[in-house]
Amino acid sequence: MTALLETRALSKRFGGVEAVGSVDLRIERGEIRALIGPNGAGKTTLVSMICGRIAPTSGRILFKNREITRTKAYHRVAFGIVYTFQISSIFKHLTAFENVALAVQRRVGGLDRDVLAREVGEALAHTGLAGARDRPAGSLPHGHQKLLELSMAMALHPQLLVLDEPTQGLAREEIGAVSRLIQSVAGAATILLIEHNMQVVLDLSRRISVMDRGRIIAEGTPAEIEANREVQRVYLGP
Amino acid sequence: MRRDHRSAILGVHWALILALVGLQVVVPPFHHTLLARIMVLAAYAIGYNLLLGYTGLMSLGHAMFFAAGMYGAGLPLFYLGVGAPQAFLLGIAASLLLSVVIGTLTLRTSGVSFLIVTMMFAQVFYLSTLYFNRITLGDQGFVLAGHLPPISLGALRVTLSDPVMRYNLALATFAVCLGISLWLVQSPIGRVLVAIRENEDRTQMLGYNTFAYKLLALTISAAIAGFSGSVYAVITSYVGASFAAILYSIYPLVWTLLGGSGTVLGPFVGTAVMTYTIETASRFTSSYLIVVGVILVALVMRFPAGIVGAFRRRWAPWLP
Repeated sequence: MTALLETRALSKRFGGVEAVGSVDLRIERGEIRALIGPNGAGKTTLVSMICGRIAPTSGRILFKNREITRTKAYHRVAFGIVYTFQISSIFKHLTAFENVALAVQRRVGGLDRDVLAREVGEALAHTGLAGARDRPAGSLPHGHQKLLELSMAMALHPQLLVLDEPTQGLAREEIGAVSRLIQSVAGAATILLIEHNMQVVLDLSRRISVMDRGRIIAEGTPAEIEANREVQRVYLGP
Repeated sequence: MRRDHRSAILGVHWALILALVGLQVVVPPFHHTLLARIMVLAAYAIGYNLLLGYTGLMSLGHAMFFAAGMYGAGLPLFYLGVGAPQAFLLGIAASLLLSVVIGTLTLRTSGVSFLIVTMMFAQVFYLSTLYFNRITLGDQGFVLAGHLPPISLGALRVTLSDPVMRYNLALATFAVCLGISLWLVQSPIGRVLVAIRENEDRTQMLGYNTFAYKLLALTISAAIAGFSGSVYAVITSYVGASFAAILYSIYPLVWTLLGGSGTVLGPFVGTAVMTYTIETASRFTSSYLIVVGVILVALVMRFPAGIVGAFRRRWAPWLP
């Protein structure tokens, strides 16, 4: 099996702090990989390097066996690496339609208004936001903003979808909806999921990587992770 | 943009153009000249607004693009005796070229830094027009009267010194720039520019090379400034260094904010209101700038989104 994404000794230092230290991560095509760990473990820093939002201090990133360590973020999106922000980062003053249209037109061009309108309509319907089409995104409830963010990511037709805490701040019913949505794209995309809600992790993921203080300390099936001494120490204290 | 509003949008903008076509036969000569100037300066503001209102970049150096168009057209007219159409093309080319160089350097910055850096480059440009005064004739400038050969359009010979011609040349310039602006902001490119204004980081993570889009916006904005600069030189028959000074970088900013930044019609409304306010106030008092200042402050306090911006919010949310 070939890896879709691979990092080799990937590190990031901020001044004297090592946020991510020599991480070797390997994600196979088609899997839903959960990335968990306590706050400040370096999860967001790691995925930000994978997406190209920040540059690594050292190490390499390979996507489909191609070196992308120095590739600009917007080129990585074209390759199929798509990131959704931890704090919903939508265009608050634009309508839900315009938000998704920006993602769709990145892929299809956007000069054909009918194609654009149809694809945006489908994307909004898929996430249950068809009724919010012409409302400013900032006026939507928090849960709908999260769904809109997911609509935008999915409209880019990602090969690797990086979800940074997609259920943060959501009510229980909303978490279920987001879970089902992630499940529905999993067939077409490989997913790297940062998540604190263990129920969501266990529902979606067959393989979990655990980070602590910038390093991956464990990797395996949910049962293996649960039995791991190191993980217990990190989560429960010594 | 919703399909059902498209005809309304086109209707409003066509109505303005047709009104300006009609106005020339009814207004007295004084307003005739003033309106011609307003239309060209409004075209300049339209270009400025594409950058400020739609891309979110506030430049304080647009006078260099306006003046580059002016000199790019004026110098060949004055020294080489080229025809007016060629002069306009040279004017546009000059500011286009300048903007690619300036943009590549200044767009590494944003926000206040961008404002300062563009202003510094514009000052360099202004001082250069003074330094090379043997060619540009510096502050004193030069007059184009007698250097404007008539244009032959088939059997028709057009004399550019004729006021009717000047008015319609200004109108054509304005209409073309308004059309470009209206088309651009409703196009997929315009959607990306607005996205950059709202959240550049997010736009990048949707896969857009935001630097390239900002450079594109700057060059279009500068080309429009250069076009209006070259036309302004022709309709006023004058080219001088004062048009490269900082005041001409501030004007389009004020006109745009007053009329409504991020609205297609705002720059025209702002330019017209401001020009007529100055014109009217200066007739009554020599300290007319105080009056203009008070009116400006009052307007901006009453309509922080500009005149057209306030109108759009209340009555016509579909207006681009």
